[in-house]
Formats: sequence, C-alpha cells, structure tokens
Amino acid sequence: MNVLTRKLRRTIGSTRGQFLAVAAVVTVGITVYIAMSTAYYNLNRSQAAFYAENDFADYYFHVVRAPQQITRQVEAVPGVEKVTGRIQKDVPILKEDHQRATARLISYPLPVDSEINRFRLETGRLFEKYPQGGGIEVLVDPKYFDANLHSFNDEISIVAEGKQVFLTVTGTATSPETIITMKDAGTMMPDPATFGIIMMPHNQAEQILGLDGEINQVVITCAPGADEKVVANQVKEILEPYGNLASYPRKDQLSHAILQGEIDSLKAIAGFMPAIFLSIAAAIQFVMLGRMVKAQRLQIGVMKAMGYTSGQIMFHYTSYALAVALAGALLGILLGLGLASVMSRTYAQFFNLPETISGVNYRAVSYGLLLSVAVSLGAGLLAVRGVVKVRPAESMRPEPPGGIGRMFLEGWPWIWQRLDATWKISLRTINRKRGRFGITLLGVVFAVGLLVLSLFMNDAVDYMIKKHFFEEQRYDLLVRFNQPVKEQELYNISRLEGVVKTEPLFEIPVKIYLNGRSEDDLLLGLPPDTTLKKLVGIDEKHLALPEDGILVSARTAKRLGLETGDWVEVETLLGLGPARWTTLTVAGVNRQLVGGGSYISLDLANRVMQESGVVSGAMLKVDPGKTGSVEQELSDMTGVSSISSQRKELDNLNNSMDSMIYSVTMMIVFAALLGFAIVYNASVISFAERRRELATLRVVGFTNPEVSSLLFKENLLQSLLGVALGLPFGRFMTEWFVQGVSTDLYTLPIVIYPQTYLFSALGGVMFIMAAHFLAARGISRLELVEVLKNSD
Amino acid sequence: MKKNVLMKLDRITRTYQMGEVSVHALKETSLDILEGELLVILGPSGSGKSTLLNIIGGMDSPSSGEIFFGQENLSRAGDQQLTRYRREEVGFVFQFYNLIPDLTAGENVELAAGLVENPLSVAEILKEVGLEERVDHFPSQLSGGEQQRVAIARAAVKRPRLLLCDEPTGALDQKIGQTVLCLLSRINREQGSTVVIVTHNTPISAMAHRVVRMSSGTIAEIIENKNPLPAERIEW
Repeated sequence: MNVLTRKLRRTIGSTRGQFLAVAAVVTVGITVYIAMSTAYYNLNRSQAAFYAENDFADYYFHVVRAPQQITRQVEAVPGVEKVTGRIQKDVPILKEDHQRATARLISYPLPVDSEINRFRLETGRLFEKYPQGGGIEVLVDPKYFDANLHSFNDEISIVAEGKQVFLTVTGTATSPETIITMKDAGTMMPDPATFGIIMMPHNQAEQILGLDGEINQVVITCAPGADEKVVANQVKEILEPYGNLASYPRKDQLSHAILQGEIDSLKAIAGFMPAIFLSIAAAIQFVMLGRMVKAQRLQIGVMKAMGYTSGQIMFHYTSYALAVALAGALLGILLGLGLASVMSRTYAQFFNLPETISGVNYRAVSYGLLLSVAVSLGAGLLAVRGVVKVRPAESMRPEPPGGIGRMFLEGWPWIWQRLDATWKISLRTINRKRGRFGITLLGVVFAVGLLVLSLFMNDAVDYMIKKHFFEEQRYDLLVRFNQPVKEQELYNISRLEGVVKTEPLFEIPVKIYLNGRSEDDLLLGLPPDTTLKKLVGIDEKHLALPEDGILVSARTAKRLGLETGDWVEVETLLGLGPARWTTLTVAGVNRQLVGGGSYISLDLANRVMQESGVVSGAMLKVDPGKTGSVEQELSDMTGVSSISSQRKELDNLNNSMDSMIYSVTMMIVFAALLGFAIVYNASVISFAERRRELATLRVVGFTNPEVSSLLFKENLLQSLLGVALGLPFGRFMTEWFVQGVSTDLYTLPIVIYPQTYLFSALGGVMFIMAAHFLAARGISRLELVEVLKNSD
Repeated sequence: MKKNVLMKLDRITRTYQMGEVSVHALKETSLDILEGELLVILGPSGSGKSTLLNIIGGMDSPSSGEIFFGQENLSRAGDQQLTRYRREEVGFVFQFYNLIPDLTAGENVELAAGLVENPLSVAEILKEVGLEERVDHFPSQLSGGEQQRVAIARAAVKRPRLLLCDEPTGALDQKIGQTVLCLLSRINREQGSTVVIVTHNTPISAMAHRVVRMSSGTIAEIIENKNPLPAERIEW
C-alpha cells in the first residue's frame, strides 16, 4: 500500500464520526435515487409493455347507441390505426349480502386478438361466446374477485334493463384501462367491495342491454405521427348523429391518469430528494476538506519539500471525499436495490400490474455511483485548491492569529455593549466564518424544510378527510337511481326507519363550452337550501347555491379559463333522449377536495333537462345505529342503482393510509439525519479548530459547561435562524412538491397545521442539540497541557 | 520577616504513559512556594519544569504526593475543584500568549475579569501595561510584545494570589522581553501576587527571590537570592 493511501486510511479512522455522518447523507441520497428511479423505471416499463401488448386505446368516444358498422367509417378516417366498437355500461350488482355494488360491463368482440384494449387472463379460463349449457360467462377484475367472490363458476347477479341477470365468473383478467378500478374521479380510493369490472362477450352484452347489432363506445388507436386532436374531431363528426356523449384522450382515462400520476411523482421524488442530499453532502465535504487542508498546512509543506507535486497532494485530500462517496454510494446502492425491489413489488401489487418487471436498473446504479463520485470530486477539488498556494518554508512558521472579526453589530453599541464576552466570541466567529456558517445554515434550512414537507403529508390527508367527510359531505348515504324519478318518490326513502333527512340530487353529465373550447363535467343539481352538502369556494369560504347560475368546478374553470360572470354553453350528455343545450352564467367557482363537479340549483337542473320535479338520486342523513338496516332496505329497491356510504369510504381510505405512515416516517428519519450530519460536522470542525482557544478558556478558569455553552451559542444562532428560515422554506418546498405531483384528478390541499411547524421546529432543535452535544463531548477531554504546549 | 507558605508540594511524582513507555516527568519533588515571592524555576527542556508549573497551576494532577494551597488539599482534586482554583487563585501567562483571536485586547481582559468577584479595573490594568491606546485592537493587530502584555493584564486583572508564567519571554526579543519582565516584577511588588516564572533562560533568574533549578525531573537545588536584580537590568 502506498504511503499516502495509508495516511488516508488513518485520517478516515481518526475522523470516523464525521466520515460516517457524511457517508450516511450520501447513502440516503443514493438509496432514494436508486429505489425511486428503479421503481419508476420498472413501473414505467411494465406500464409501457402492458399497454403495447394489449393495444391500449388513444381516444375514447361514448355515444348513446350506434350501429356496429359505424366502426368502418371511423376506420377510414386518416390517422386512425385501429378501431373497436364495443359496449360499456355501469349496472348495479346485487350482492349476496344485499349490499349494492356497481359493475362496469365492458364487451369484447370475439375473437379479441386484433381488437383494441385487450385484456390479459390472470386466472381461470376465457369466457365462451355461447357456453354449452347456456348462461352467460364473464371475467372480472382480480381485485373485485378477491374482495367478493370465492371460486370460479360463482355467479354475479346484476340488473340490466330492469331485469335481474346472472353471470358466471370463469376467471379474472386485467386490461390497460382497468389497472386501477375506480368508478369515477369522485372516489378517493379504489374500493373493490363496491365497484368492479365485468368483461363479457359482445354478443351477450348486446342481448342483456338490448343493443342488438349496436355499440355505445368507440375506441381508437392513432397511427404514429397523426395529430390526435384532428383525428378525434373527425371521428366526433362521424359519431355526432348517434349522441356523442363524451370523448377524451388516453391521458384523461381514469386508470391511466392515476397510474401516470403515481409514476410522475416517483420521478419527481427520484430527482429532487437525491439532489438535496447529495448537494448537502458535497457542502459538508467542502467544509471538512477545506478545514483539513488548513489544519495540515505543515504536513503539506513537508510533503512539498520532499518533492510531492501539488496535484498529488490535492488528489490525496480529494481521495477522502472520494472514499466518502464510494462508501456512501456502495451502501446506498445495496439499500436502494433492496428498497427498489420492495417498492416495485408493492406497486405492482397495488396497481395490479400483471407485467411485473423487476430488474436491477443498471443505469440508475451507474448514474448513482457516477453522480456521488462526481459531486465529491468537485467538492473535494474546490476545497483543497488551497494546497497549491502552500509554500514549504512558510508553512513551517506558525500561522498568525485569525483575522479581524469586527462585525456590523458593533455599530450599535447599545446592543453590543450589553453582550458578554462569550457572546462576542460566538458572534465574531460566525461573522469571520460566514461561508461555513452559511453552508451549515443551508443544511439546517433544508432539513427543517424536509421535516415540514414530511409532516405536511399527514396534515393534507387529515385535512381532506375532515373537510370532505365531516364538513362538506354531511350525508351518510348517497343513493342513485337507474333513471331520473319524480321528486315525490323520495318519500319511499324518507319514510324508512332511521332516515333523518332526505335531500334530492340531480346529476347530469355535461360538456361545458366557452369560446369553442369544451370540457366534460358533471352538473349536480341540489336544493339551494341544502344542509347535507356544503359548497366552498377556492378561498375556502362557504358558497351559497344560487337559484340561477352555475358554481363551476375549479378544474373546469382552470381548464377553460372561466371567471365569475362568464356565460357558458352547456350540452347534456345523459344517454336518454336528445342532447339539451342551455346557456348559464358562472356565479362562482367551487372547489371540492375529492371528486366534485359543477353545482346548480335543482330547479335549474330540471330546466336544463327540460323537465320539472325530477331527481336522479338522494342524499340521506341516517341515525348512526341504523345505517346498516337503511342500506339493506335501499338495496332491495329495484330502482336504486348504487348506494355509497360515507363511512365505508372513510374506512377504506383509512385502511390504505398505512403505507403513507411508513413513507412519512422514513422521510422524517432522512431529514433528521441530514440535519444531524451537517450540524455534527460543523461542530466537530469548529471544535477542532478552536481547541487552543477553548483550552485557554478552561485554563483561565471557565468550567466545562461554560466552554460548552460558548459553542452552543453559535449552534443556537444557527438553529434559531435555520428553523426560522426552514419553516417558510418548508412551505415553499411543499408547494413545489404538490405542484410536481398534482394531476388534474388529484391535488393535495396545501394545508400545514401549526403543530407541523411546531414539531418541525422542535425536531430541528433536537437534531441540532444532539449533534452539538455529541461534538462537544470532547471539551471535557481537552488535554489542557497538550493543547497549550504547542504553538500550533 | 519569615514569609508564609502559600503552596506546599510534598513528594510529588508525575508519570505519563506514552504508549507503552512510562515517562517519569517528576520524581518525588517537594517545594514550598512562599507568599509574595518571585520564584524562577530554571532548567533545560525535559527537566520537568513545565510539568511542575502545570501541577502548581491546577492544569494537571500529580500521580502521587500531596499539594496544599493554603489549607486546601489539591492532590486529588476533581475537575470542578481545580477549575474553581484556577478561576479564583491563579493567573496564567503563556509563551505564545493564547489570546482569544475573536476578542479585542480590552475584551480579552474583560473575559477574565468577569470570572471573579473583585477584579481590578480593566482600563486601569491596560493602562498599567501601557496599552490604553490599543484597547480596541484584535490580537492579529498587535505585536508579540503587545500580545504578551495583554496576556499579563488578562492574568493580573483577577488579582490572583498566584501568577504563573511559562517562558513568558520565549517568543520575544530581548528588549521587549525586558519590559514584560518589568511588568511581572511590578505586579509582584505592587499587588503582592506570588509570581512563578518558568524559563530555560538563566539570566532571568537574577531577578528572583529564589531560584529553583530543575534537572531530570527533580529539584537539583534551591538558591536564595539576597539581592535580586531589577528586571530592566537583566540582559541575555
């Protein structure tokens, strides 16, 4: 072993505390990078592979009904690659326990081999067009199967066209559009107990839904290079006569949008977390090596005198940083790969992705290694550039005492003169070492900011739950009917035992137009004096529902650039009768944390539909003990298509919060580690540099605690300032993060509770104290005689 | 008139463990330090004189033997007791001054003054050492002699009963060294502090009341000096 290598090894040994602290920061950075980018890579690849394998549609068109042959016309549109005409319809499921659920029936023309949106059989066997022994065979999505069924050949009973129909389940299957099975954007979480996908042969769907020779949905894939919008407009024209209900590109398809949102946020985190950790690690190394070169000036002089070149010596000191990087990166790669495989598996399971690609992402590994080495190399070379200036002869002379530390505060004698000498020492030291103070401060600010960001996740979810389930949705059950009914019929519901209050609801899917642009939305008609639903504006203030005018959803408002006072055109997309057109004035913009739509008064909803006294559902307030029995009785009513229970949704949501707790805890640990590492290193360096000064104080008669408090005052200033800046910075990071992970469907409210700030501040103070006391242990071990004997 | 004993060292031994080797820095050394005297401890490097000074100053403890400061037994004093002893009774002057770089001359003196109940006036003592003009200068703006005078002011401001100086002129030229010695002797005379100077520079011993000559970790001889020379007449 080379002598310099041996020296390096010993230096690492004697500074192992600091070495480990920085290496740990690098480790976290690389771990997060490898884990997140590998999970991203795996998820992205399996998504792409699965989509390609099954020809996921580029565009969806819903119509009321159209002849099957229409697909030929669509096929002829330039830019259209493939077309599939099929039937898709939501129908009620009658479960054995009398609970209600909704099935999304999707039909598949047989054979499916060349159609769009094919599925992959997961278990069981494929359905048959005409099973021997009659009946209807179907496949269901695996989550629904696991939650509701026991074995193949179980029967599902649905209501189609007013009649009960039995379907035999032959297996489970997943397709690109059913990776995440959620009924609509109004649900917060997939709930397989109340919603499932049923896949069946097209001929059977035609039969039970009374659509002989007809379809109600057209899906297309576009040829490479084709302008999707142009193609879509041409297809819409063709479908116009058949009641063009809705059309949207793949990016608005719910399953895809949620999956893509998750993948994008993984990518965002894979980028910004490692960036923070590696930069802080680089900053610490910069400070450490800078100090090391200064402290070993004499050694450097001797080495130069012996004939070592500046380059060799610089490389020697930079090697320390490289060793940190390698140690951190290697451990980070190991942990990262472990975490990546756990994450990929969890994601694959959660998203029900059949194509689970779990490979080692060699690119991420090599990037991780390269990145950490490059960052350390840069920080190292920058820090040790002072080596060049050391002249052998000069370096052997003791260095003159430090510079003049006069600072701006001294301009205000009334403050300055009140400070005791130890405060003056602390303040002047900070002033003189501004660069290092700044770097440490930056680390503390980031660490405290990360704490705020981590704790914010809890706040956001808690706030959403509180607002959504306890303040804004005040009903217990939401009932929807198969088709609109007269309002008087709600009496049948309100007279049920346990129903405290019933309020009508009229839901109309619509297209909202402004200046030639349009957006799909849901109109919700409510009585203006509703007590079961609270509407709020973007400013979180209560919004009264006007008799006339529309409280447009924040999403539509944003997409169309709507403002209060605008006039919009509304086209109904209800599959019954012809489309109705109305012009409405925007009375305000409402925000709903989960799902939502645009609100109008019940009367106005009737006018829009050119009806009167009609409703499509009801919101119920129920005696707390009676929810079960009311739900039971509602389930038995034939006109009811679905019942959603707030309590069940809440339970379902709470159950899926566990994984969030893990990631939040992990983030908190990472943030604390980051803060600890930088403060610890700064304290150790500051202590090492000032051994002589501190020993002098001890000799003069200062006690250990008094000397420790001197260092503590510097740390205190650092932590107070760091926390004070870290809290608002945390909020800024949160906003940035939310922006990064928000999708059209989901956005987190930027709500940070006061206790989050309090805990982040306390957390910040705690890691600073811990680092300080660990670093200040050395004071009691100061060898007074040893320290003072040498002139340097 | 016979002087009172301020400090009594009785068969002090100090052994250092340097790796696997035991170094006997002090062997069975006994010495009485008298109140108000100016004592010079003389010896070549390695003779144990600094070890002796460190033990007298409460910076180090003996491996065996007894030390009394007045009635107080310091032989097995803990860190707290030694700190209090240094704080209240001892002033130190080092070869390399050891001023706090981030404090001005005045503040360095203040720092020590703040530690005791009844210090001298900071302004007075700085005037005394001739640095009234340099109060607001930082150590890096002062010459070596000036720095040493600040260090002496810092030590003296506490009115210590014991002023210990480790090679106080070691880093200074003769002329400036002389003024430092004058200062020390004046503090001894006017404030009545007992001054102990450790040096390898034999001529300095001429100003002492008594001279302790150290050799190989023990006291070779103690010479009483009936007619100490004024410091300004010392030359080397």
